[in-house]
Amino acid sequence: MVQISLPKNSKVQKGKYFKDKTGSKNIRKVNIYRWDPSTGENPRIDTYEVDMDNCPSKVLDILNKIKNEIDPTIAYRRSCAHGVCGSCAMNMDGKNGLACTKSHAEIKGEINIYPLPHLKVLKDLIGDLSTLYKQYDSIKPWLKNSKNLGDAENLQSKEDRAKLDGLYECIMCACCSTSCPSYWWNGDKYLGPAVLLQAYRWIIDSRDEDRKERLKKVADELKLYRCHTIMNCTNACPKGLNPAKAIASIKKMLATS
Amino acid sequence: MKNDNPISPHIQVYNWHISSLVSISHRITGVLNYALLILVCFWVISLLLGEKNYEYFKIFSNSFIGKFFIIGFIWSYIFQILSEIRHWFWDMGYGFELKTTKITGTIVILGSFILTIILYIAKGILI
Repeated sequence: MVQISLPKNSKVQKGKYFKDKTGSKNIRKVNIYRWDPSTGENPRIDTYEVDMDNCPSKVLDILNKIKNEIDPTIAYRRSCAHGVCGSCAMNMDGKNGLACTKSHAEIKGEINIYPLPHLKVLKDLIGDLSTLYKQYDSIKPWLKNSKNLGDAENLQSKEDRAKLDGLYECIMCACCSTSCPSYWWNGDKYLGPAVLLQAYRWIIDSRDEDRKERLKKVADELKLYRCHTIMNCTNACPKGLNPAKAIASIKKMLATS
Repeated sequence: MKNDNPISPHIQVYNWHISSLVSISHRITGVLNYALLILVCFWVISLLLGEKNYEYFKIFSNSFIGKFFIIGFIWSYIFQILSEIRHWFWDMGYGFELKTTKITGTIVILGSFILTIILYIAKGILI
């Protein structure tokens, strides 16, 4: 359901201010969403003054710097730091992306960092993605093939393989799904761009034998057609993929089959 | 288990893009057009009831509020039509590249205002 305003327990308050202690002249203010499940208080925005002379180029570097040097209590997910694992997906400067690939020089003024939008917050910048994972599970993201090939490879023509380009690169970081207003309002029923892109990845795979069944399963007013081509997903994707196009391709397949 | 964790901010913090702006405007103008059809009904009724009654409609349409309604009506419909054309292309599978959506979105927004002005001026010349 559409709920524009945040519920009472989610209203964001002003938090602590961490003044710079290094005496650096090159300071940037970083505002970070904080919520501690152990206190029962509302979420707050903490502001940190960060010495940019001794900070590498990405937003994740800022977070690491704050955690290492200013405030060790801050919680966020991160792993590979090279835009491959998708752990550090968050909302920076009003747009979803990966903190490890987002350059802070691109952001003008104060740097605002929030968790991925419209998720249940677990702590600070960590959102609960379990609904999305359940939805991912529901599309059966694996190859369905009854051929017994033994040790032989399951071959595919070059053209058929090319159809998977722009789909297989998805790292499931959830930047797209959590940028989508339709997913905000109907996230429990609408599958969202990330899962639909994955669904299309298996529908279009020439080796998969379950195409009809897959299409039938996804052809649902709420699961698929809540996509109104708002394009926030494609705007957000840190890997430069196009979930909106993948969803449109599913719709087109259904309309022409 | 009841989950009382807070919900992270969404529309409050998310940047607007041209495409999301056109999308929400498409919705709003869609609803508006539906409501504004009532105005067209009144216009037709006033025509049916004859010259004297039509004068009332004319007084309304020449008033400030009347003009505001009519210009708004023209804009709302033009916006809907242009945006719908954009959706047709999408339904056929074209125009999903980010750059293309930005250009077509801008065309829809600017085009709706330009065509409204042209149409309103043309109306003044024709009538």
